[in-house]
Amino acid sequence: MARYAMVLDTRRCIGCHSCTVACKVHNDLPVDMIYNPVTTVGPVGVFPHVHMEFIPLLCMHCANPPCVECCPTTASQQREDGIVWVDENKCVGCKACVMACPYGARIPNHEKGVVQKCDFCKDRLVLGKEPYCVATCHQRARIFGDLDDESSEVYRLVNQENVVRLLPELGTEPYVFYIMD
Amino acid sequence: MKPKEDIWGWMLAVDFFFAGMGGGMLVIIGVVEMFLGEGRTSLIANFIAPLFVALGALLLILELGRPFQAWRVFLNPKAILTIGAWCMLMAIGFGLIYATFGIKALPWSGWVVIRKLVAVFCVIFGLVVATYPGVLLGRHKSRPFWTGFGMVTLFLTSSLVTGSSAHLLCNLILPPAKLEISTILPYLAAGLLAFQLIFWILYMWMKKTGTTDREAQAIQSWINGDASIGFWGGFLFAGSLIPIVLLLIPSAISYLIGVILVLLAGLWMRINVIHAGKTRTWLPGEERYRGRLPLGDEAFLKAWLKD
Repeated sequence: MARYAMVLDTRRCIGCHSCTVACKVHNDLPVDMIYNPVTTVGPVGVFPHVHMEFIPLLCMHCANPPCVECCPTTASQQREDGIVWVDENKCVGCKACVMACPYGARIPNHEKGVVQKCDFCKDRLVLGKEPYCVATCHQRARIFGDLDDESSEVYRLVNQENVVRLLPELGTEPYVFYIMD
Repeated sequence: MKPKEDIWGWMLAVDFFFAGMGGGMLVIIGVVEMFLGEGRTSLIANFIAPLFVALGALLLILELGRPFQAWRVFLNPKAILTIGAWCMLMAIGFGLIYATFGIKALPWSGWVVIRKLVAVFCVIFGLVVATYPGVLLGRHKSRPFWTGFGMVTLFLTSSLVTGSSAHLLCNLILPPAKLEISTILPYLAAGLLAFQLIFWILYMWMKKTGTTDREAQAIQSWINGDASIGFWGGFLFAGSLIPIVLLLIPSAISYLIGVILVLLAGLWMRINVIHAGKTRTWLPGEERYRGRLPLGDEAFLKAWLKD
């Protein structure tokens, strides 16, 4: 069984928000919903060596997802390949998962009355394609793959580069890794 | 800049208020029945306690995105919300059953053993209903205002404070057949209020000095920011200290004013504690990013959504 993960190389990200737009289009999201924002940090450094940093955010598909544990309806689920997703038929929109997620990755859809989130485009994975944000990123700042596959690029990056996880102290064990400057 | 993030709204806070107060009342009803016997709590209180829990449950349902699918919240026994929902249901059921024992025309009003057994369940489920909001909030590791065991104590204490105050109010409207508890209730409420006052100050001090920077920042608005007047002047002074004095003066009018202040303070506390959970441990650049998102009432957004 695969264990999907994503590596975000912030050295390559230029903050163009193409991934944000691609995600909104692919998932047909209402105007007030964004699954994967790109935040701006900076300027950092000392003149003349200053630069901006761009941090793409999305669901971390944690190994210990607090959003799944707290869901009273079992709508929030985790597949064996690690993908955390929401069964919209079961979701009642209680927002327990919105409050539990430390990464702000769960967004209430006020039109449907349910909570939605990034699911690594599992509909595309079935067809052997990458998540839409990965396919759209022209800087190749997003690398997606199977962490259990030793020949995959994500495996190599996670094991060879100096990757970090966000909020590791919370013990959620995110499967989205960042390569920072 | 106020970051935009969808969080629980005021209805959940009001649910916590009514359910907590009802739970606190049920605990007192059950303990009094178990150790002292029947007829010592007001019949109004016996009926209104489970109805308060039911009102809380109704608000919880209305807070949902899909209220007609509310039955689904009973399905995951590992989730705190599910445990809370079941315990609210049990508290309503056992509370109403216990209340009917006070109607002498009903054939089961003399079944003492069953009444005592129902009282035990009232205590158990009342205690869970009074406590579980604190457990629910305290388990949020990324919400620095809530995280930790302190929330459990604060919510349990507040539920017992508002519950005992509500009993006092019911006693003023319809006194119970036997009055000995009525004389103790004001002292019980005042003692709990004193404990609550001290524990809130300790909670603030602990958050400020003993834990992480995030937690210290999260309580800053309560200490000397936007919520500080409400907290120090409203909740602690007008909602705790003044009622302690009023409840120690044996007069119906002073009890009435004291109880009203306590209930208003309990409501304020819950609304503001829920609101304080808005402050999450932000990711790099996230606070600035969310601060730039439209809040929904901007002219361009309204025009866009109209089409």
